[in-house]
Amino acid sequence: MPVGEGKFKLHAKLTPPLEAGLWRLKADQNFEAETPETALDRNDLRVDQEHVYLRIRSPRYVLPPDQILSTYPPANSFGSYGSRLPQVVIKRRTLPWERRLDGAPEETPWMALVLIAEGEAKLETGVDVDGCVTAGVELEGLKEVAKGNCLIAKRSLIHRVFPTKRDLDLLAHAREVDIQDTELMMGDDDGFLAVVISNRLPLPGKDENGRDAPVKYLACLINLEGQYDVLPDRSPDPAPIFVTEFPTKYFAVQKHYAMDDHMVMGTALAPADMDINPVDLAGLTNPVPMATVSNGSNTTQYQSAAAAGVGAKPYAGSGQWSTASLANKTSAEISLQMVEPFRIVDTNKAPRLDPEYRFPVLLHWSFTTTGDTTFRSLMTNLDSRLLGDVGNASKPLSGRLPLEVAESGHIGLGHQTREGDRVRAWYRGPLVPHPAKSTSADRLKLAHSSDQLRVIIPDGREDLSLATAFETGRLLTLSQPSIIASLMRWRQADYQAARLHSLLTSNRGLWEELLGAGFEKTDLHKIGPMAGRFFAEAIARNPELFLGNPRARVSPGRPLEFKGKANNILARGLGLNPAIFKGDLTRVFNGLREARVPRDDFIAKDLKLVDIRETLGTDLDRQRIDLVSSALSNELLKDHLTGPAFPVTDRLRVEILNDNLDVILHEPAPLDFTDEE
Amino acid sequence: MINKSSDILEHLGAELQKRARAPSAEFKPDENTAMPAELRNWLVRLRLLEGVPFANLVADSELLPQESIRWFYMDRRWTDALVQGSLSVGTVNSDDRIQLDAQYSAIRAELDTEERNVRRSKGMARFAGQPGPITGFLLRSSAVSGWPGLHVRGFNVDIDPEEDDDPFKENDPRKIRLLRLERLAPAVLLCMFDGIPKVVHIEEPRQGIQFGFMHKDSGNKRSAKLRPRNKTNFEYLDESGNNDVDVPFRVGSSGVVDIRRLSEALAAHPETGAADGLDSAEYALQLIRLPWRQVFGEIEVPPVSAMFRATIDYTSMVNATFRL
Repeated sequence: MPVGEGKFKLHAKLTPPLEAGLWRLKADQNFEAETPETALDRNDLRVDQEHVYLRIRSPRYVLPPDQILSTYPPANSFGSYGSRLPQVVIKRRTLPWERRLDGAPEETPWMALVLIAEGEAKLETGVDVDGCVTAGVELEGLKEVAKGNCLIAKRSLIHRVFPTKRDLDLLAHAREVDIQDTELMMGDDDGFLAVVISNRLPLPGKDENGRDAPVKYLACLINLEGQYDVLPDRSPDPAPIFVTEFPTKYFAVQKHYAMDDHMVMGTALAPADMDINPVDLAGLTNPVPMATVSNGSNTTQYQSAAAAGVGAKPYAGSGQWSTASLANKTSAEISLQMVEPFRIVDTNKAPRLDPEYRFPVLLHWSFTTTGDTTFRSLMTNLDSRLLGDVGNASKPLSGRLPLEVAESGHIGLGHQTREGDRVRAWYRGPLVPHPAKSTSADRLKLAHSSDQLRVIIPDGREDLSLATAFETGRLLTLSQPSIIASLMRWRQADYQAARLHSLLTSNRGLWEELLGAGFEKTDLHKIGPMAGRFFAEAIARNPELFLGNPRARVSPGRPLEFKGKANNILARGLGLNPAIFKGDLTRVFNGLREARVPRDDFIAKDLKLVDIRETLGTDLDRQRIDLVSSALSNELLKDHLTGPAFPVTDRLRVEILNDNLDVILHEPAPLDFTDEE
Repeated sequence: MINKSSDILEHLGAELQKRARAPSAEFKPDENTAMPAELRNWLVRLRLLEGVPFANLVADSELLPQESIRWFYMDRRWTDALVQGSLSVGTVNSDDRIQLDAQYSAIRAELDTEERNVRRSKGMARFAGQPGPITGFLLRSSAVSGWPGLHVRGFNVDIDPEEDDDPFKENDPRKIRLLRLERLAPAVLLCMFDGIPKVVHIEEPRQGIQFGFMHKDSGNKRSAKLRPRNKTNFEYLDESGNNDVDVPFRVGSSGVVDIRRLSEALAAHPETGAADGLDSAEYALQLIRLPWRQVFGEIEVPPVSAMFRATIDYTSMVNATFRL
């Protein structure tokens, strides 16, 4: 049943039919048969037992990135997340229930999302999978990967931060969304998602003076297999409290000789500098090797101390932090970078004999919780006015002149005239505080240069708003060569259109006959194709007028007539004097040798004959008409306008060049002139 | 004997005839228009102020202080001048200018229509007719940089903010369409409407679904409340907050919620489904937090004379000049 767009359905759990691991499938078949003569039992028709081995794979140490649909809060982000529980949305809907926790009730999720503040626990990356779990714990079955990440947590931390055994079940659920709903689907394929929620709010910190301080948190999706017993049975017993304390921020005192100067002088690398952008410092602070920690009652070691600087305000303005340096890195590098502050643990307050446990980390990301600004608090406190209204609040005195703003939204700006005088002029951008009149009478008349739009208003100052707009548009266009080219092409096309128009009006009669009355209204660009279609249509209507029968491939030719003596026929056929074939062979040969062969002058001589000229005349007339019409069309359409304008043109032209002689020779001629006599 | 291939030719003639007579139903970019398509696209983008330097839009930073939203009307004359400046690049001699003079009104009318069609979603009918006013706002706030992907909607009727989040379809006449929604700088958002909206909603981006509580700080401590929901219809049991449950935290650690005790506290309200033991889906249901939606509209607008603090008495002069 579809869920419906914008809606989703929550399931407490979606358990897989089979848990991950190695399975053996045994199949037995029993056959019995009875015939009138005899009965066969299963021993006679024995079928071997079939063993099928199945391996159900499931991520165990590392969650493949394509299985993660979203994390909240977003990785590497800054924000006020103090009242939201971190969560991870996983594509594989059954994942949290695919493995079994020893000692846990059935269908308890085997993973948990734990949230670690800076300095509370250590994340090690690139550990052999055997080292990812606490020594002594053995995970049976397939390892899937060779190296993984692991979280090293003290028992005291586990009791403070990790979910209890009873919590675990509530922290994973499945969500079913409509597959049409892209916003909720987030790129999933089947609309079923698994969600794991953390049990801890990422509270922002307070420094020792009670001011807000950002805190960096690391969210780890850990594998609890084999270590369910490590989790606290239940939350510690004192009656529940309904308030929780903000984590207190301390500043690292790192003993490093090269750092002494910075510590003393308070320069760039000194910790807790107020307005240092943590991203800028990343490259400087990361490689600093750690030395022994100076003793102090409230000392936490961590590296990127500046990130927790008092009052560091990541939102304080545009461009203060940049993820550009991160954008070039691979996700693996980014995730390594996110781990950086979580490699060192505060060991000072830890009780002695606090055993360490290691948990495989399927997925980890970090984010920073800043003060208490929420989207809601920001939006409700916005200063909402019309543009140009500066309000009544008195501005603190500063070096600059007070803003000069008129009711119309114009503001006074310094202006150096072309003569070099320093004056003040009025300027108003396109965004005005009054309804703009938009009837066509109020619109701006066409101006051709910006100086046309300079206005002097009665107070003697210039209003340069429109002139500035004109110049802005001009410069923006000049910065785009393609648009300049387009403008120039447009101008050229307009000239061509004008020329075409004049051609059409000068031969009005011809075009009206061809295209019908009102031809000016048709798109001139279409005349070529239209004329082509017109002719094709005429041909198609009355093909017999235009097209003859197809010529036979083989024709019998004309019968040959023999009249008179063979000598004479032969001589006339060759165009020779019949007398040459008389006498003995020697004489005939001599005569043939001396006979002039009729060649080039044949056509030139014959053209003088009236009958040939007539024969050619009709043909030439037809060719001429074609030529004229095609030439006309070419004149009209030019090359860029035609396209398939006159499909016939080219063919005719070719024939004229090559086939005149053929036409002449194939014309049936009077009998007494045939050369086949 | 007629040519055997005549049927083909007849067919060809019918085909040609059909194509020649077919009415041009769809709009082709370069037919019957005042200017080539590439030019039109460029001018429409200019009209919507794309690429115009920010200092030309807002000439002084005092006009747009931090954490402010500034509403505006679009000055058509200014954008006309912008377009004219752009067109002036293509005029070389006075002949060109005469021709441009003749064409200009058609160009302007076409741009007026086309700029409304810029963000037209696929399958919607084209907008035509005379253009209405263009309005919009500039938002400079850390909300823009911290919550990328804000949802902005404008309506020309009053919308109950509690109502369904998007009651109208994209082409509903009651919904004011967006002509432009763009971050000009990390913390500056420019939004332009095709019309004058009566109500504008700005909504937190929905990065999936969020889980959490309502919190309250006092000194160094934070307390949180959970407003229980009815598990069958998702409604709050009590809007006024009488049934709010205090969220228990684990002693000795910061921010760790004692989930079991929370579910026991919820069990006092059987409608939540916690009475028979809370399961993870019911727990998630209780925790869902909806994105915040800020509604702007129907503000008490003080008279213009009270809004501006003119340093010199320009009123009469400015009125005379700009005919306000």
